Amino acid sequence: MDTNSKFLHTIANPRINTNGGLLHLDMQPTTSSSSDSAAEGTGDAKWASRLLRDCAAAMSDKDSAKIHHLLWMLNELASPYGDTDQKLAAYFLQALFCKATDSGRRCYKTLISVTERSHSFDSARKLILKFQEVSPWTTFGHVASNGATLEALEGEPSLHVIDISNTLCTQWPTLLEALATRTDDTPRLRLTVVAATAAAKSAMKEIAPRMEKFARLMGVPFEFTVIAGLNRLGDLTKDDLAVREGEAVAVNCVGALRRVDVEERNRVIETIKSLNPKVVTIVEEEADFSSNREDFVKCFEECLRFHTVYFEMLEESFAPTSNEKLMLERECARSIVRVLACDDKVEDCDSERREKGRQWSERLREAGFTAAAHSDDVVDDVRALLKRYRAGWSLLLPGEDGIYLAWKEEPVVWASVWKPS
Amino acid sequence: MPTEEEAATSITSTQNDAVRGSNPPVPPKKKRNLPGNPDPEAEVIALSPKTLMATNRFVCEICGKGFQREQNLQLHKRGHNLPWKLKQRTSKEVRKRVYVCPEKTCVHHHASRALGDLTGIKKHFCRKHGEKKWKCDKCAKHYAVHSDWKAHYKTCGTREYKCDCGTIFSRRDSFITHRAFCDALAEETARFTAASHSHTPNHFITSSLGLGQHHFPPNLPLWVAHGNQQSHDHNSIAKHLQEMHHQFTLDHPLVQNPNPPSLYQTANWGFGRDQFPNQNPIMIPILKEVSVPSLFHAQNQNQSCAAISATALLQRAAQIGATTRDGDGDKLCGLYGTTSSGGSGLGSDVELSATLDHEMEMYPPLKRCRRPVEEEIGLGETRDFLGVGMHTICNPSAINGWI
Repeated sequence: MDTNSKFLHTIANPRINTNGGLLHLDMQPTTSSSSDSAAEGTGDAKWASRLLRDCAAAMSDKDSAKIHHLLWMLNELASPYGDTDQKLAAYFLQALFCKATDSGRRCYKTLISVTERSHSFDSARKLILKFQEVSPWTTFGHVASNGATLEALEGEPSLHVIDISNTLCTQWPTLLEALATRTDDTPRLRLTVVAATAAAKSAMKEIAPRMEKFARLMGVPFEFTVIAGLNRLGDLTKDDLAVREGEAVAVNCVGALRRVDVEERNRVIETIKSLNPKVVTIVEEEADFSSNREDFVKCFEECLRFHTVYFEMLEESFAPTSNEKLMLERECARSIVRVLACDDKVEDCDSERREKGRQWSERLREAGFTAAAHSDDVVDDVRALLKRYRAGWSLLLPGEDGIYLAWKEEPVVWASVWKPS
Repeated sequence: MPTEEEAATSITSTQNDAVRGSNPPVPPKKKRNLPGNPDPEAEVIALSPKTLMATNRFVCEICGKGFQREQNLQLHKRGHNLPWKLKQRTSKEVRKRVYVCPEKTCVHHHASRALGDLTGIKKHFCRKHGEKKWKCDKCAKHYAVHSDWKAHYKTCGTREYKCDCGTIFSRRDSFITHRAFCDALAEETARFTAASHSHTPNHFITSSLGLGQHHFPPNLPLWVAHGNQQSHDHNSIAKHLQEMHHQFTLDHPLVQNPNPPSLYQTANWGFGRDQFPNQNPIMIPILKEVSVPSLFHAQNQNQSCAAISATALLQRAAQIGATTRDGDGDKLCGLYGTTSSGGSGLGSDVELSATLDHEMEMYPPLKRCRRPVEEEIGLGETRDFLGVGMHTICNPSAINGWI
């Protein structure tokens, strides 16, 4: 059955099934695949985008009949196991559905608890490492930030790196190795990790001994602290971090600032400034779900745009039947529901409202930071990194506010370096 | 750093001198001082950057031709058929020369830290204070010295890194990251803490069931929308939602699927795997001798006793250390003595060193390195990549004692 016929085909008993908290097609094997879509060639390949946007518009207009009709159609065609269009349809449909039924918060909390129950350190580790192996999405930020941090702290004997990120310490082994092999006198390193989610907290119990052991192997005097008492990142205070005299402080925020509630972001940045760091490295995904949060359609479109790029990237980076890819897609599902179907503030839940590099830069400047460009050496290292992956990745250097990782010319991840003015 | 080439040159010149006089036996091998700690009797030469980098320092006074090395000049001069008197070297035995780095801020600028070799000081100056003109296009690394670049380019991308768990990597960064998180690393901790610690209790035993590698829930719970199909009015939607919620708690694939968590498979720590101390594949990339595989790959070891493996370890390390060249720009020599580290795991290290200390008794040339003693942090010279408390194998004086 080609896509066109599916569009028109009426099914007497629409069946909506769930798996992992998703609405998707029943268990008929999906015949539609990317090859089908390609064969169409008339534009039906992007049917998901059209339907989804139409539905979002209908919601904004409160056109009840149209909403139902579109939701129903999407449900027929969507599948989290199909091609990219079907996946996008599935996950965005879920968010739209929750929005229509005002059940976003509940759905989100359910999705979170399902994840927590099903994830172990082992699976989280496997997931992150595999993702890093097939895509520079996260390693880009690591290389750029580590390079900038090392350069800024060169010559300092006592380092304190404060890590506020979602990378479960996968950034640090290469930094430890660099400290051990590059400089003549290996400095002491104190690493403080801020773990604000339950998943992160439990993972840290596993990660701490490993980091310590690895540092010992590298011969770097090492001290590891986890700050696990926070419910939300926004609650972070200077005292929590206990900076000591004589330490050179570097703050590393990877995928973290977006998890702070929008109104608290400036305050968190000020807290960071109050630590008097020598360097602050910020890495965030390049999307704007923040400035448009009052405008559902705009926000929806931006969300769809970003996730389309992301899903396509995942599709081309992983093997077709990869379990890790599926898990990453499900992570997106949660994020999409959170952004589109929930209120801005949900107690004890992260925000997920991403902002673009330009926007973060404004905030950082307001707080008294100046941008520092990545050095040529670091840029070279990043280029070398990208070479090690499949084609499609490139580096954009528009100005001094940071560098961008681009997937097929589309900027997707922003990495920047800041110093107190 | 003086290269083998240069060393050969200096030995040759010694021999030449000796032969002219009589027929002496082979001259004793020149004793090398530690780099940067020159012979106090030596003549200290300070060249300007320009002179240092000039390629043809030795000039024939007869025809003005320039040569890079004194030997080449000598050979050339023979061609001029000089009378015997002028053939003699102009002065008596030349005093040993050492050179200082022209860069004022450099540690080798002072006579006490002069380097003993002209080529060495040239390379040092380039590497540390020079422009990095040579670039490897495979990995984007830059080098100031052409020979460094050449040496790197030969091996770039050809190395493979193997973790103890068996996984092979072509990329160093992914290897390093994997290594830090690999259970093989944790396993080693377990081996040595078996006596004192119990395994950290928090993993494995939580309620989190590992999802398993390629776990796809076999039977998806069907959620049939009974009642009105056509109209999705609010009531039915709410009802569907309730169903959905209900389905989660009961029919979630995980609850149905009581596979033992995959984590448990890794619980066979240390029983089947006998690789002591199975870490440090980091040695592999650092060593330039690619023919020597993993230093610590215990191929057929059935050794449960740590002490025996330490012996094998030390022997192997010595062999590799002897064939290692150092100082090609990169920080080589993965083995250094240890410095202290964080709180946990100290117990294990102390135990380990106790065993190894005994072994070390048998190999006197190696200096013993006491493990994690607070004062040693400041030394900064010796680091233990193995975590096994061995002093640097790459220390040249130690090598002399071995081979």
